[in-house]
Amino acid sequence: MLKKYLKYLLPILVPLLILLLPASSFGIAGMTLIEQRVIAIFVMATLCWILEPIPIYATSVLIIVLELLLVSDKGLWFTKLAPPEELGNIINHQTIMGTFASPIIMLFLGGFFLAMAATKYRLDVNLARVLLKPFGQDPKFVMLGLMMITAIFSMFMSNTATTAMMLSILTPVLALFAKKDLGRVAFALSVPVAANIGGIGTPIGTPPNAVALKYLVNENSISFGSWMAFGVPFVVVMLFIAWLLLTTLFPASIKEINLNIKGRFLKTPKAVIVYVTFVTTILLWLMGDLHGMNSYVVALIPVAVFSVFKIITKEDLKKISWDVLWLVSGGIALGVALDKSGLAANAIAAIPFADFHPLLLIVGASVLCLLMANFMSHTATANLLLPLVAALGASMQSLLPYGGEVVLILAVTFAASLGMSLPISTPPNALAYASGHIESKQMAKIGVILGIIGVLLSYAMLYILKQISFIG
Amino acid sequence: MDKINIICVDDEREVLESVSRDLEYFSDMFNIEECESAFECLQLLDELDAQQEYVAVIISDHVMPEKSGVELLTEVALDNRFLGTKKLLLTGLATQADTIKAINNAKLDNFLEKVWDPQELLQTVKELLTEFIVEKGLDYEDYIEKLDAPTLYRLIKA
Repeated sequence: MLKKYLKYLLPILVPLLILLLPASSFGIAGMTLIEQRVIAIFVMATLCWILEPIPIYATSVLIIVLELLLVSDKGLWFTKLAPPEELGNIINHQTIMGTFASPIIMLFLGGFFLAMAATKYRLDVNLARVLLKPFGQDPKFVMLGLMMITAIFSMFMSNTATTAMMLSILTPVLALFAKKDLGRVAFALSVPVAANIGGIGTPIGTPPNAVALKYLVNENSISFGSWMAFGVPFVVVMLFIAWLLLTTLFPASIKEINLNIKGRFLKTPKAVIVYVTFVTTILLWLMGDLHGMNSYVVALIPVAVFSVFKIITKEDLKKISWDVLWLVSGGIALGVALDKSGLAANAIAAIPFADFHPLLLIVGASVLCLLMANFMSHTATANLLLPLVAALGASMQSLLPYGGEVVLILAVTFAASLGMSLPISTPPNALAYASGHIESKQMAKIGVILGIIGVLLSYAMLYILKQISFIG
Repeated sequence: MDKINIICVDDEREVLESVSRDLEYFSDMFNIEECESAFECLQLLDELDAQQEYVAVIISDHVMPEKSGVELLTEVALDNRFLGTKKLLLTGLATQADTIKAINNAKLDNFLEKVWDPQELLQTVKELLTEFIVEKGLDYEDYIEKLDAPTLYRLIKA
């Protein structure tokens, strides 16, 4: 009985305990009250995201509000009574509130507008139909086509929406398979696997990438185009490996597959505006700084165009996944608090990380991330690990020969997307599992193998990027 | 998790029990209610609404004393509190006039004939339940194991 309440009690009691402890008990010299409160908020966030007593986006909102109440310049009166040297760095409330509208959130909002307009004007289904044609009817190649299209779409749409769309195309076909034909499993698994992997391809492909952008600033900043320059090849190689794996582990005995997708390309003026805006936005993103705009500014162009031409209406606005945006905001706010309070720098100075071998750190952090991402939300995992990893990376001189903090951040970000061995790992996995064609054992087999290969491949990729001086 | 109800209405005890039995599959996650008359059902609807519980599906017989199934479902269709509730008429004795009323006024979501195929009833309720949950914007992941996957794929857009 107590166990049932533990997930509610722990996130309340443990942070409270941390608040009540004397500052000297943390082993960090000269720790301030603000830093102590930030630790309490961080611990609360960790427990809430792992145990999920409340929805994960609610945890994010709670982080922001608690930061405003406890560590901001406009917080509760008694939180600011202590003398300044004991209190530490109070954080500007505008900075904390600003996380709701940070450029990264705007980038995602732009992505949402593109995806919504594409779905509404059936650009996605129609593209899928045209792109699938050249793959013929051999199950093997139809699956390759499906996976490639799923991956491409999930680079610009949410992984969940892409999976739902592709599975609904696939459903009538899956019904034709014989009960014992393993090809059924391969097909049902190919979609979520491709969606999870595809998200890695662009900064807007999946929320963990957006969280990573927050820490890739100044000399470490990566543009939309340069992210794709290494993200897309990584996706291609991973997809190919996944395809080989699926076709060997679950070979299909059916000889021919006919995907029947109905519909025609819309040719109304509004549809044309959608096509043109879609292509233009992506081209502007790929051009980098040539036009003077960065990817965040470019992201707002489709927002304006689609609103002006009533392509996205008032009703559509309500359907935007605000929960995803808030989830990311909370992560950013957590990073802001760790950074601005000075806690990140102080804590890392207190722990002798410098004695660790930098490679051990990269491997340790990415494996931990992969493990966590299998059991909890990818975004929440990134929210928790990336601020720590970024602070660590910035302070470690020994990491520089290996590419510096960029390498560490990217390794962890990629690992966050590779956690896909359980139905609960990602929403795409849950949707595919609900089809009833897959056993969790089969999903675990593919997920674990791809997770490990993916992390190893990301090391190889980062090594090459460092060698050609693309990063670091 | 939100409390979601499935209500069965029939004046014959045995029929009611057999419908409930066919819907046993849902019972660990959803609440299955039995009513022996339209009045009992309306009363229950009142109570459920007062406790802020959802009514996802009403499965009603047509020929019942005092108030018919079509009349009951028409009332539900016009009641703002139960916007989105799925209505299934399960009857063997509806005339053409009744059927026309059922479609035009009660805005039926499904019509099954007595004697029904348990498998078909189960599948129909599964689909209606999935539609209700997605349309209401409830968290479908909580209920995913009991829902109809193809319907889910069709309805999820974001």
